[in-house]
Amino acid sequence: MLETTQLSHLFQDAGVWSALILACIGTYFWRGLGVYFSGKISQDGELFKWLSAVTYAMVAALTVRIILLPVGLLGSVPLIVRLIVSGLALAVMVSSPKKRMVPALLTGTISLVLYGLLVS
Amino acid sequence: MTLRKAVLLEGAKDALAAPAAVLFAGMLGFGAMGKANGLDMWVTSAASFFMFALPGQVVLLEMVILGASGVAIAMAVTLTATRFFTMCLTLFPQFPEKHRSRYYYLLVHFMAMSSWAVAMKDFPKIDPDKRLSYYTGFALVCWGVSTPGTVLGYLIAGEVPTYLNLGLVFINPLFFLLTFTEVKPRGNRIAIVIGAISGPLVYLWQPNYALLICGLVGGSMAYVIDKHLRNRHLA
Repeated sequence: MLETTQLSHLFQDAGVWSALILACIGTYFWRGLGVYFSGKISQDGELFKWLSAVTYAMVAALTVRIILLPVGLLGSVPLIVRLIVSGLALAVMVSSPKKRMVPALLTGTISLVLYGLLVS
Repeated sequence: MTLRKAVLLEGAKDALAAPAAVLFAGMLGFGAMGKANGLDMWVTSAASFFMFALPGQVVLLEMVILGASGVAIAMAVTLTATRFFTMCLTLFPQFPEKHRSRYYYLLVHFMAMSSWAVAMKDFPKIDPDKRLSYYTGFALVCWGVSTPGTVLGYLIAGEVPTYLNLGLVFINPLFFLLTFTEVKPRGNRIAIVIGAISGPLVYLWQPNYALLICGLVGGSMAYVIDKHLRNRHLA
């Protein structure tokens, strides 16, 4: 009985590792492919402008998805709290034309931690 | 290819200012998440070392917990990594062509959304000849802090109260959100707005292909709008 449990654990581990290895290869595939084709693109051309827009649309979609529809721990925070905290941080960020990254980050992070402390 | 040490160190120093700290915190959060969900420490830290793409790592973790098949996991993660393709296509052409070498295939592993975003913003102000050395230092520091961050997060997971963990998992997406306010080219700003609005909506409809759809359709729309505005300005 013990042996089958160990065996199933072994298979489970092997499954996780193979998923990880495949996922790492998949991730590097895009990086390598990007390097390969990057030599054919001029940074002053229209193609570059289009690719930049595509990339920014992608990373913006990903970022806002993580904040609005998070998986895991962040999902335990109500949407309205996530929105208010993000709004506060953005407000600090744009409140001065100079670099406000660190104060803005601290504002957002600390206010979310305070929320967590209040409900815990 | 020769890298200039002084410039490389300058890049490393700039990375330590904010992006590396943010990544470190994000990786602490990821390590803690791995531990909390019963994942092996080696798997959790290997993900940071070999994949080095936090959103993909979170997808991996979630799907492992849900018991998805290895192939399904690999496909979902690979699809979230599509962004690296166009990130490379927009980053590497900014290095002088004479610097191009096989070294790029190593350097590209150390590229993260944060170092890419900073490069896109700061490269216009940096002498093209210095960019490769600068970026090497910058990206290596970002990557270098990630695995130790993950291991530490894993080890202290039980000691860290949930409310602190909340801050750790939130700091990364917040950082990206804030960097968007520093993007200057109009086409890219339009793309960010379209991507931000369509991202969650398309995700509800097509979770796996959401990034690809938002990027291609939203980015192309932004490009066309910007081009139209540029032409009108010229006319």
